[in-house]
Amino acid sequence: MIRFLFAALLSAVLSFSVWANDEPRTIEMKVDGLVCAFCAQGISKKLGKMDATADVLVSLENGLVAVALKPGKDVDDQVLRDTLTDAGYSLKTIERKSETLADVRARLGSKP
Amino acid sequence: MSLSRIWGLSACLLAAPALAKPIAYQGGTALMGEYGAGTMQEVQAFYAPSYRWSAGVGHLRLDAGDGAFSRDITYLRGNVLLKRWNLPHAQANVFSWGGIGSADSSDTTGRKLAWNAGGQFDYETLRFYSSLRTDWQYAHDGFSHRIDTAQLGWAPYPHDWDRLATWLVVQARDYTGGLYNGVEPAALVRLFKNGRASAFWIEAGVTIDGHLQSMFMINF
Repeated sequence: MIRFLFAALLSAVLSFSVWANDEPRTIEMKVDGLVCAFCAQGISKKLGKMDATADVLVSLENGLVAVALKPGKDVDDQVLRDTLTDAGYSLKTIERKSETLADVRARLGSKP
Repeated sequence: MSLSRIWGLSACLLAAPALAKPIAYQGGTALMGEYGAGTMQEVQAFYAPSYRWSAGVGHLRLDAGDGAFSRDITYLRGNVLLKRWNLPHAQANVFSWGGIGSADSSDTTGRKLAWNAGGQFDYETLRFYSSLRTDWQYAHDGFSHRIDTAQLGWAPYPHDWDRLATWLVVQARDYTGGLYNGVEPAALVRLFKNGRASAFWIEAGVTIDGHLQSMFMINF
């Protein structure tokens, strides 16, 4: 009985672990027109105020905006598209990734 | 070819061509101030309900180079983004604005109803910046002044969102209506930096006559 409970518990932990690793932690967006640091402040402010957002990274050199999601949360694509459009920019692609925002920063060479 | 003619040609080509952007971002407030080499001094405050338009107030002081007259103009103004091109590594904009106010002149009696209109075309990448801007101030039976400004800027190092941006800017400005004789060139250094809640922009330099030319802007 104890072995069965241990096996069930282990299985549950492993399943959760796999699920947690597959869960998107960041949303990466390629954005056109992202050249003025002074003007892009609006993007950071808008995305940073969302319930699902933990942190925001704006990379002008890569034309990229990345959002770190809070655990178990996500943001609808249309909401992201509307937010970027309302900020005056053109959203090209949206991609969900399991890597953390720190991983994205390291990949892009941005400082935290 | 004089700056006025170049400007006129550009205006025809661009329909409504104009420095700093008069619209920050949706929900953003911009405070701006400029000291233009003793000829013009201006402060402005704008709120933008949308990235397409903003409205606010301003005060402009104009002083003729020879000391013959001065103008004090307080105004309400609306700014519109007529067209934006978002490119993979560049952005271009056409802004236009107009407003109404009250003017006091040293060479006429009584306050006058004053009108203002203008436009701006700008194109920038991460390392290159250019803009053409015109501002027209008019009061019936009072004065008519146009201030045309062209700027070219270059960023000596790549900057990203979270770093201090430095730009080296050359400017040429033409005043009409007896404010200044000829085109006034200036060399400027522009710095801007984003903070958590606001962004700061400051530029300063000298004109060919050795006068201070400076500007600041805060977006929040």
